[in-house]
Amino acid sequence: MIRVWTLDSFDDKQLAKFNRTLYTAFGVGSEHSGTAEVPAGMSEPLEAEKLLEQVKGIRSYKDDKVLLLTSRKLKERELPSGVAPTPGFARHGKDRAILSISPHKDLETGFKPVSRHALHQLGHLWELHHCLDPRCSMYPPWTPSFPQGEPIFCTFCREKSEQKIRLAKS
Amino acid sequence: MPEGSASFQLAVGDRVVYPNQGVCRVSAIDVKEVAGQKLTFVTMKREEDGAVVMVPQGKVASIGVRKVATAEDVETIFEFLRSDSDKADLDWKQRARTNLDRMTQGGILGLAEVVKGLQVLSELRPLPTKERELYDNARHLLVMEVAAALGTAEVNAEDSIDIVLFPPGRERPKRTAAEFARDDEDLGLDGDLLGLEGDLDLPPDEEAPAEPAEEEPSDEGEEGEAVEGSEDAAPKKRGRPPKAKTEATEGGEAPAPKKRGRPPKPKPEATAAAEGGEAPAPKKRGRPPKPKPPEVEGAAPAAPKKRGRPPKAKPPEGED
Repeated sequence: MIRVWTLDSFDDKQLAKFNRTLYTAFGVGSEHSGTAEVPAGMSEPLEAEKLLEQVKGIRSYKDDKVLLLTSRKLKERELPSGVAPTPGFARHGKDRAILSISPHKDLETGFKPVSRHALHQLGHLWELHHCLDPRCSMYPPWTPSFPQGEPIFCTFCREKSEQKIRLAKS
Repeated sequence: MPEGSASFQLAVGDRVVYPNQGVCRVSAIDVKEVAGQKLTFVTMKREEDGAVVMVPQGKVASIGVRKVATAEDVETIFEFLRSDSDKADLDWKQRARTNLDRMTQGGILGLAEVVKGLQVLSELRPLPTKERELYDNARHLLVMEVAAALGTAEVNAEDSIDIVLFPPGRERPKRTAAEFARDDEDLGLDGDLLGLEGDLDLPPDEEAPAEPAEEEPSDEGEEGEAVEGSEDAAPKKRGRPPKAKTEATEGGEAPAPKKRGRPPKPKPEATAAAEGGEAPAPKKRGRPPKPKPPEVEGAAPAAPKKRGRPPKAKPPEGED
């Protein structure tokens, strides 16, 4: 089950549409499970890794994947080989990911790129790596063509994610 | 000689890389009796999922177990990935063999070579399924080792690699087959060594689907994209150079393109008949019909032969 938790206010209809997109891509249920607060003392741009560890009040079952959705900007990460643009963040094989809809004002205006980013981060939660196919949502998200694509997976990534979902213990 | 094959001492708690399996931690080194022999086994636990493998200490080096790469090694890997030097071999058999060696014995640089080579190849054409799986395996092992070497999360290690492979704000270039060409003359491979006439069988998922083999006999399949452009800039093709054209090409009609496969059987009768007069009826397959008995003029046509047992002979009547 995919549980979307919002850190800011979003339109319910757009959230429902967003959940339908996630359901279509992964074949597992997706719902808006509630709203959480950004921990005190964290200012924009938010540090994604720290936020994922410190956010409180998220309830989920085993094997659920939680996607935190915010309209605030995330801080870019300093990596050994350079600076990584960070529209979202997810650790491989874990159960939480965060996604920012920035620079879009709301879900409606940037629905397609935000959905694509959401698929990307949730894919990481199901241990998918970056893909070579520019049409796939697991393509590196900082490439110029990424926001123009559809929120879909290539055959390889779809089959791999389905396999991981089937292997879930619960 | 595999990297790290020199004998090294392992201790409990060491992090090592098992070829094709990933980063493991040595959990125990103990002596066990197997088939009457006392052997020292190194027990390793894979960090990813906790799978346990036991290796005799004498074979640790020969199977390619090595220490995890250092941060300096990872810097070297980033430099290698940033460079535009590595081109995959267009011959799939050679490529598969090389990649297999690199995966098992190449160390972290071997993994990077597989990833880079297949990534560059994918800029020429989509990867076949097997190579896509190989790419995913190599990438996974590379990410795990870089993460272990840098002491960071796997997602950060992967992004570090991909920032180099896919620089932000830049699309991947489209490659042509010419960029993959190598100097075969240096190796003395310009002749047809095996007499294969350039007919190499490709795996079914690697053959170009929309390639008209009989319409363009001179094209060498994979190098189809390289044909575009002027003659001067025509990319150099790999393999056997094309045969010199005959005089007929210059003077008269161009010869018909040579068809691949078994040549058709000669048809002497058909040719003769076509030249002389009527074409003979097409030859029927199967058993030839039985010759009919000669018909007697004026005789009634014979009744059709009935199937089954012949009727019993009737007794003669009126002879009481």
